[in-house]
This record gives sequence, C-alpha cells and structure tokens, in this order.
Amino acid sequence: MQHTKPPRKPLRFLRNSLPFWLILPTVIFLFVVQVYPALYTVWLSLQERQPSGWTFVGLKNFDRLFNMSIFGESAGHTIIFLVSHVILTMVGAFIIAFLLSRKIRFTGFYITVLFIPWIIAQIIVGLVFRLLVAPDYGLLAGLLQNPDLFPPNGLSVLTASRPLPWFGEFPFPPSPAMILLIIASTWRAIPFVTLLLLGAIEMVPGEVLESAMIDGASLWQSIRYIMIPLILPTIIVSILSLTLNAMNGVGLIFSLTDGGPGTSTNILSFTLYTIGWGQLQFGRAAALALIMAVINWILIAGILRNNSSEGETN
Amino acid sequence: MKFTSSLGRMIALLLVAALLAACAPAATEAPVVEAPTEAVAAPTEAPATEVPPTEVPEPVDFTTWFEFDEKNEDPAADGRVGNEYLRNTIPQFNEAFAGKWNWVNQPKAYDKMETELVAAVQAGAEVPDIYEMLSDSVNAFAQNGTVQDLREWAEAQPWFADLDPSALKACTAPDGALLCIPMTQRPQAVYVWTDRYPNGFPKTPEDFLTQAEALKAEGKYAITFYGSTEKGGSGINRAMFTTLSSFGGGLDDGNGNMLLNTPENIAAIEFLREIVAKGYAPEAVFAGKFQEEEYFKDSSAGAFPTGLNGYLYLFPLTAPNGTPYDTNTSQDFLNALEAGDIYLSPFVSVEGVQPGCNTTATGLAIPVGAKNVEAAHDFISWVMTPEQNANYVVGPGGGLPALKTTQSDPRFQSTFYQQASETIGASACRPWYGSLLRPAEAKELVMNTIYKLIKEDPTADIAAELTKTQEEYNQGN
Repeated sequence: MQHTKPPRKPLRFLRNSLPFWLILPTVIFLFVVQVYPALYTVWLSLQERQPSGWTFVGLKNFDRLFNMSIFGESAGHTIIFLVSHVILTMVGAFIIAFLLSRKIRFTGFYITVLFIPWIIAQIIVGLVFRLLVAPDYGLLAGLLQNPDLFPPNGLSVLTASRPLPWFGEFPFPPSPAMILLIIASTWRAIPFVTLLLLGAIEMVPGEVLESAMIDGASLWQSIRYIMIPLILPTIIVSILSLTLNAMNGVGLIFSLTDGGPGTSTNILSFTLYTIGWGQLQFGRAAALALIMAVINWILIAGILRNNSSEGETN
Repeated sequence: MKFTSSLGRMIALLLVAALLAACAPAATEAPVVEAPTEAVAAPTEAPATEVPPTEVPEPVDFTTWFEFDEKNEDPAADGRVGNEYLRNTIPQFNEAFAGKWNWVNQPKAYDKMETELVAAVQAGAEVPDIYEMLSDSVNAFAQNGTVQDLREWAEAQPWFADLDPSALKACTAPDGALLCIPMTQRPQAVYVWTDRYPNGFPKTPEDFLTQAEALKAEGKYAITFYGSTEKGGSGINRAMFTTLSSFGGGLDDGNGNMLLNTPENIAAIEFLREIVAKGYAPEAVFAGKFQEEEYFKDSSAGAFPTGLNGYLYLFPLTAPNGTPYDTNTSQDFLNALEAGDIYLSPFVSVEGVQPGCNTTATGLAIPVGAKNVEAAHDFISWVMTPEQNANYVVGPGGGLPALKTTQSDPRFQSTFYQQASETIGASACRPWYGSLLRPAEAKELVMNTIYKLIKEDPTADIAAELTKTQEEYNQGN
C-alpha cells in the first residue's frame, strides 16, 4: 500500500493562501483610493491650518459649520433641489418609457435621440441653459423679459430676486434660477432613468396587463395597481441613484448659476466646494464632507436593502 | 478558515497603516536642486585652432505657473495678450540663461491656481519654482504658509530700492514677510464715455444721481459694474469696495476683525440701492460672466469702474457718436482714449473723503517646497530689469509698473498712462481685504450680504444685516 505524501509545509501554505494573494491587489487598491482618503478626511475635519502647520481643533470645524448661515440655507436648497429633481425626472422618465414600451414606430430612433442629453457633459448642459436665459442676449430673453407675459417688468432668470419664503427661513418657493437648475438637471437625467424604467416595464408580463384590462381595469388602474408594483424595485433604485447623483454633483451649478444669484442655488455639494477650494478652509470642508458622506451612506444602505429584499422575493 | 484569519490580519494591518499614513504630516520642503555653477558664456571669438568640443551643460528645467499658455495661439483666446507675452519672453529668458536654466511654464486657470498651489504645498506635492501671484492672495498664503518670505533676499537686490512703496506694501503679509515681488499695480479707475459725461464724471454721489436720471431719460444707463456674487463674491474687489471706500468705509478694523456696520458703509449701500432701484445700471450687472462689459462696449452705459488692466478685454467698442473701434484687440480702447471718446476718472466720493478704490499688485512668488530656488531668484532679477518689467506691464500685467524707473519708459508716457497716473493720484487706493486673514471667506460673505441688501431685499435693515455678517466672520477669528 502506497501512502501519498502530504504536501510540504511551504507548498501547503502557498496553496492555502493563494486566494488571499489573488485578491490582495484589489484590497490594496481599495485601501489606497477609499480607506486612506476616508481616514484622511476624518483627520482633516479635526484640524485647522495655521501658518505653522496643521493644528488639532477637535470639533471646532463642525461647530463653525453649523454656525455658518450658508449651511442651513444650503441644506434647504438641497432638499428642494433633490425632491423636485427626483419627482420631475421620475414622472417624465416613466411617461416616456411607458410610451416607448407601446412599440410605436421608430422606437430605436427615439431612444437614440433621447439619450443625447445624458452623453453631454454637465458643464456643457449648464452653458447651454445659461445661454437660453442670459439677460438681453439669451435665446429666450425676449420672451422672458416681456412685461406682458411676466408682469410687471419681465423675468430675468439669472438675476431675479427670490420670492419671500413661506415657511420661516426655509427657502421655498425656489428662485427662478433654482427652477432653471432643476429643469436643466432633469433634462439631463431623464434619458438614463427612462432606459432603466423601459427595461423594467418590458419585463412586466403582457398577459397580466391584458387580464386586468379584460377584467375592466382602466389604463390608470393597470399602471397604478399592476405595473408600478411590479417595477417598484427599479423605481426605488432609480430614485436613490438620482438622489445620490444630484446630491454630489456640482458641474451643472458651476456653469449654469455658480450658486447664484446671491446664494439662491447654493446646495450642499456646491458649498462644500466653495468652502474647500474657494475659501481654502480644508478642515471645515472635510467636516462637511463627512456629514454628506453620512447622508450618502444612508442612501446607499437604502439601495442595498432594497436589492437584498428584491433577491429574497425572487 | 486559515485564509479568513490571515486575510483579516492583513486587512487589519493595512487599516493601521492607512490610519498612520492619514495622520502623518504632509511632506514639507523638497530638496533644493543644485544648479550648474556657471552659465555658458556667449561665444566671443572664433577659436584660432581646432579644439575638442567642450561639453555644453544641459540646462536645468525650472517651472512657472502663469495663468497664460504660450502654446495657445488662438487670437480670440481670453488670455491672448499673456499667451503672446510668454511666447516672446520664454525664448529670451532661455537665451539669456543658455546652458543654465530652461523655463518650463505650466498654464493654470486664473481662478483656480491659488487653491491649487495651497493644496499642492500642503500635500507636499510638486510645486512650481515661480508662481504668478495676485496680491489678493497675500493673507491667504500667509495663513497657509504657502510661499516663501523673500524679504531678506530681495532687500539685497539692486532693484529693491526702485520698487514703488505701495506695490511693495501690497505684497507684504501682516507679519511683515514679503510674499511676492510686485511687477505691476492695478488700481481701479472709472472708464467714462465722454459724450455721456461731457463735463467730466460726477464728483459726488448727489451729482452722479442727478446725471444718472438725465441719462435714464435718454434711455441710457449711467453706469455698469460687476455686481455678481459668482466666483466666490468677486464683485467685492471690483465696484463694491470702490463704492464703500469712496464713502469712507471698508471691511475691517485694522486688527483682523471684520467691521461692516458703520455709517459710511450704510450710506454706500444706500447709494448702491438707489442706483439699482432706479434702473441706472443694467440688470445684467448681476448676471456674472462679465456680461456687464457689453453695456460699456456699445456705450449704452456711460461709465464702468474696473481695474486699469480691464481695457485688455474691452473690445470692440462703439462710441456714443457711432464711431466704431473694432480692431478686436485691446488697442480699441486705447484708440478711443486717444481720440477723446473715452477718459479715465476717479469714482465719486462724499465730502471730505478721497475717491476710493481697490488696488491689486501682480507679482512673483516662490512657493514653499520649490525645488529650484536659485533659478527662481535669477528669474525674478531678470524680470525686474526695467525693460522686462515694462514688457510685462504693457503685456498681460496692465496697470502701472512697480519699478519707478520703468514708469519713465517711453511706453508709459501715452495718454492712457498719463490719465491713469492722474486718476490714481487723485484716489486713495488700498487692498480691499485690509487686515482680514481669511479674505476668500470674507469676500463671499460680504458680497452675498451686499447683494441681498441692494438686489434681493432692498427693504432689509442694512445695519442689522451688516452686523450679522461681521459677527459670523469674526466668530472664526
């Protein structure tokens, strides 16, 4: 009887640890691009730059942040921007996706054309929308600045004063510039969400909808009680994805309004940029980045939870 | 299981390493590169006998950050004057220091380069040997330890005694450190269309408002100015500070605290409110992106307070009498000025106060961590020769030369420079930020407040809003 020799120790070690060595580059990469910057941000949020170098200031940066008038205002603008952007995008995208799912002629062409806004850089979108409404020279300036249409003096979107707030200091109703920002961001986001929803709608079994129609359900009832529940996971993912993108993007604001007029389009991500890169207050910017990271983590947890519950259902 | 535990150990190790790395201070200064000791002298005589070729030393690169790009030859580019300046000057410098230094310029966006430098120094990253610096950055750089104190070296240089004291002051930090070597000063003046103000630009706010009403009756704007809150509130260092200081006001108490709620500032803001409410300025003054310039270009606005270098960007022009100035270069403005269609003037001011204005110096700084300090010193001394200083000023610098000798250069005897000297001589110009150590934060706060008071909510209590703003800033002191 021949015994097989057990592998020698070093060889066994190598075999056992092979998976570890295979994933090590990925782990190192993640540490370099995610963990290190995250820890550095935490460290930075507790520091202040003095001529002599970095100085530990504890939670002073957070305290200063909460005492800045722009912080509360930006948070209000962020809520208005996110809620309006998400609702308008979802409604618009759903309508378009629903129409495209009806197998009308030239659907492929429509989808191609529809996708154009998504492939245009945010900066370009901002510039284009700005050129539409620039006072006196904008394409729509003649229309907007017509006192008969917008009494008493016409409307100059980029310089118009914001309306008086209805609820204390909360910046609602939004300024015309904020409305323009919402329209521009919605215009750009609709194509991607449309494609997501179109994919989901096309997965809804036709027989289910037909049965409902035969049972006397109206079109609205079929959508409300059959289609929407069936595509709900996609809707939720779209909502959270839109929220995250809108929460963290600043390109459009830069080229369209630069946070103005005044502070009327200043949302948190823009404030973060201006505190850090405009005012050189890197410690305070890091504190705001951490707050925004917490909000983002909550939203990501929402996505993951939704995905896992979807998996369990399947 | 073994794998899981070893993976866990490795991840823990990496986590600790990352934590330590995150908490480690950034690198401070990079080593200084030893330059070749001698420049190659220009050949004087042909050798009588054939000698073996001597080895020409490879010039050492030294880098600069300018807002201009010598490789951009687009005649319509915003920075074309500066681009051309670099195109002409880089070969001259390389020739003057052949075999020793090779000038490599890295073009930077003018509104981002300050932050980029601060971040690079703090991170211990690559920094240039020379940084083209606006004196507006002095306090921020002092606070962040971004650039080197040049005082000791500069005072030993022959050109130091020739520097204009006000330009020198603009480059000086609150602690006396000299953070840049000024090349030009850009105080502000009012550009005026002669036909709109044939009897001279008004001297007092009351006169101005009277004439503004008359111009409004003709369908013209009395004035256009940069009143936008964009770019971190950069309206402040333009017309806003000019107005505040012409009423005897300002932004600080001289000790690093913001002081806004003063009768002078309140009067200035009331004056601005009236201009806006009565429509003496176009709505576009608040639109940003320099759209306000268009109203001066087509002379629909009679006056435009801006920097002395502002004319570099004002073209083509159409005078009120219809005369076009349309070479599409900065020469348009100078031609209009020579023809008497435009003149320069100080701003209006209240009784007992000299017309105020903001002044900015443009200079050269050596960042902390610059590798080639010797080349930077050579570069500064070369640029600070009267001829090179003049080249810079008539090129992208604009404004008035920082060297007193350069001011007597024939190029600065033109009508424009004569009027500029008279205008600045009649004004009391100073940097807008005064003793404020966080100018970028102050700029945004103050501009947003003024914008709110004159545009968004013209009925708001001026004193209360100004107090709120100064308290918010001073909390950070």
